[in-house]
Amino acid sequence: MKTISRRIFILITMLFLGGCAGMQQAEAPQTTPSDNTAVIALLSKAGDQSAAGQMDEACANLERALRIEPRNPVLWHELARVRLAQGRYRQAENMAAKSNVLAGTDRDLKAKNWRIIGEARNRLGDLQGAREAFKKAD
Amino acid sequence: MAKRSKRHKKKRWVAWKKLFFIAILFGVLLAAGYVAYLDLTVRARFEGKRFALPARVYARPLELYPGVKLRKTELLAELNLLGYRETSRSGEPGSYHLRNQVVDLVTRPFDFGTDRQESLSLQVIFDDSGVKALQQQDDGAQLDLVRLDPVMIGGIYPGKNEDRVLVGLKDVPKHVVDALIAVEDNRFYSHHGVDPRGIARAVFTIMTGGGMQGGSTLTQQLVKNFYLTADRTLKRKFTEMVMAVLLEIHYSKEEILETYLNEVYFAQDGNRAIHGFGLAASFFFDKPLEKISLPEAALMVALLKGPAYYNPRRFPQRAVQRRNIVLESMAEGGFITKNQQMRARMAPLSVVDRPPRGTSPYPAFLDLVLRQLRRDYREKDLRSEGLRIITTLDPRVQDVAEKALAGRLSMLEKSRGGSVKGLQGAIVVTSVHDAEVQALVGDRQPRYKGFDRALDARRPIGSLIKPIVYLTALQESRHYTLATLLDDSPLVLKQAGTKDWAPQNYDKEFHGNVLLQTALAHSYNVSTVRLGLDIGLDPVMDNLKCLGMDRELPAYASSLLGANALSPMEITQVYQTIAAGGFRTPLKAIREVLTADGEPLQRYALEVDQVIDPASLYLITVALQDVVREGTARGLAARLPSNLKIAGKTGTTNDLRDSWFAGFTGDRLAVVWVGRDDNRPIGLTGTSGAMSVWAEMMAGLDPEPLILTEPDGIERVWIDPVSGLLSDSDCPNAIELPFVEGSAPIDSAVCGPSAGKSIKNWFKRLFR
Repeated sequence: MKTISRRIFILITMLFLGGCAGMQQAEAPQTTPSDNTAVIALLSKAGDQSAAGQMDEACANLERALRIEPRNPVLWHELARVRLAQGRYRQAENMAAKSNVLAGTDRDLKAKNWRIIGEARNRLGDLQGAREAFKKAD
Repeated sequence: MAKRSKRHKKKRWVAWKKLFFIAILFGVLLAAGYVAYLDLTVRARFEGKRFALPARVYARPLELYPGVKLRKTELLAELNLLGYRETSRSGEPGSYHLRNQVVDLVTRPFDFGTDRQESLSLQVIFDDSGVKALQQQDDGAQLDLVRLDPVMIGGIYPGKNEDRVLVGLKDVPKHVVDALIAVEDNRFYSHHGVDPRGIARAVFTIMTGGGMQGGSTLTQQLVKNFYLTADRTLKRKFTEMVMAVLLEIHYSKEEILETYLNEVYFAQDGNRAIHGFGLAASFFFDKPLEKISLPEAALMVALLKGPAYYNPRRFPQRAVQRRNIVLESMAEGGFITKNQQMRARMAPLSVVDRPPRGTSPYPAFLDLVLRQLRRDYREKDLRSEGLRIITTLDPRVQDVAEKALAGRLSMLEKSRGGSVKGLQGAIVVTSVHDAEVQALVGDRQPRYKGFDRALDARRPIGSLIKPIVYLTALQESRHYTLATLLDDSPLVLKQAGTKDWAPQNYDKEFHGNVLLQTALAHSYNVSTVRLGLDIGLDPVMDNLKCLGMDRELPAYASSLLGANALSPMEITQVYQTIAAGGFRTPLKAIREVLTADGEPLQRYALEVDQVIDPASLYLITVALQDVVREGTARGLAARLPSNLKIAGKTGTTNDLRDSWFAGFTGDRLAVVWVGRDDNRPIGLTGTSGAMSVWAEMMAGLDPEPLILTEPDGIERVWIDPVSGLLSDSDCPNAIELPFVEGSAPIDSAVCGPSAGKSIKNWFKRLFR
């Protein structure tokens, strides 16, 4: 549909998210999470849905996107975030680990995943594991 | 005296009268009680849910987006399954029009689940690789993603196997109702449930010895079907009349008529009973009831007199005659003109040869769906609530898999000149990243609903166990690497109470010292047993469980060579975890369950569980790629390009009874089993049997290459394949292998890193 405006929206969102992740990375060139317009559309929809608290719907759309790009680490990362917000910590940890396996050299994304893992482990009472995860995030 | 007797008489008379009144009162009360009971019965059924609706099972909806690898023929095949009609110009929802590389498509609305989608008119533009673009037809706007409605692949029917599609009276064409009233009950709108004239006629028939028949109003017929048994006694007839009157008191003519239209029985399709005009329209004419013409309506009503006797597919002559009688009654009743009658009389029956499928074309897959549903739903709800179940089946993959199995098995039987007969097989195909079962074949005749080998045939898995043995070893990276030398010399196992066991290799030879990676690639038995006994049976069996085998299995030394029997589905679960990079996800056949109104009820979300560390999983996957590159599965290269970097493993059991292949590409995992039901030898190895089916199938599925992301903590080192020691890229036969950091050999082969490095290595070893 309005692909271009949506892309811009995503880009801006990504920049904001990047900003949260740490100012030192803000200057790194931000790439769009996918070249596939369908994936971008689904990612944007899932973003809206999770912002509106419709977590299951957001998951359903992220899973749809994964069927198109199963090796896209950003999609796995987003799933991890939604699971974390839902309080499904074990799944959050596992999804983030999956994202890490696929992230390759994307250190920024890996750091974000380790933060999710740390947070999830904290909530699960694994404080030692959480500390290790946060250490890897830095 | 006379007076006294008169008084006495009067007294007696009064007493009689009293008794009479009491009797009457009692009788009335009794009758009232009975009527009240009937009233309760009548209302109970009518107030509640009137019909048990079968659950409908759907395939995965096809997603269209720019860049999807989908050929035009594949889209057309899907549209064909969906019953989309080809039209000269694009028209109504559910139609399409072909123009070279463009398909003009009007989708049906996707009206259930969370992401509903209105009907869309769009152009699907193809290029050589797939869909290039999607454009809205009116304004040419680009579309990102369009979902087609899903193909229905079967139903889960109520106890009596009644199937129906509910229709509302407002959606029923007038001539259907007219025909019904003209023939079955022409005073329907004026009587009160029973028709005195009809009864008089019926009584007359009975009196004159014509048997008990006729005279039933539509209301009575409905009562008979709904509440009563089929026996023909006077008492039942009386009950029927009372209930008919009660029904009419409580409910409007419209409600009664609508219920009748949905209730009546039309035909038997296998063990499925076709009820109601809604389903009959699609069963006989393959169209919705709203689109039924006058002669078609007359035919449907004609069938009610004797669904089997007038079956239009078996006795077209009888059916035509009866239809024409219906048309005549309609004309007599003034529902149609003489002219309309004449034209309709001339119309052909127009019954479609084959009814649209109700019984599933994919019985094996449906079996799996039902088993997974039974974990979460009561059988009764599955068979009555009209649930809609969206599954993971991909009809395209299923079709390719079915054809590959049937085709290859016939070819194998033919090419062996009759020495191989009675082959059977099973295939499971899943999506690597989310464990969705895309296809399941349980029989070489896939439409046959019999023994589901994919789920229920448990057979020794042979060498399919080896990757688990080797993975278990590689997890101890201090002791085992891909370059570890294994001993493949003769071995005799002595165990108290059992015969000595001397495992043999398939080529009946021993290979001395071999690299661990080579032993797996060539599937050497003797070195595998030694390795397995070294690391211990328990850790191997524990790993099997960890990877997803959820049944307790006995552990013998021969388990190391796959003596344990697993079903194709069970071993698929194990390989699924390997293919998904060590993340276990339960195999899934259902995505979502929705209510009859399309409201979401339950979603089966993706869940992953990391059970194997990325480094050792990476090593075993590289080794499995090597099986295909240079080992027992190198024959795949004849059908599939080597740049796909497929990982796989062959499996053969004693005396060539079972032939297995498990392998995965970047997007799909498939396990194939070939054997005989009576477990006799088939003379085929994993390579010559199952692998050839696998190759044929994958070649038809346009696979994605398997690209592995190297996890942290892996280094690549050049190795001398004979000694397993360090080598150099320019040394003869040197191979580059991945190692967990710090686990690579330290000593150098003859042609290898210089001595200076060796001194450094000496120190390294000291501190290891």
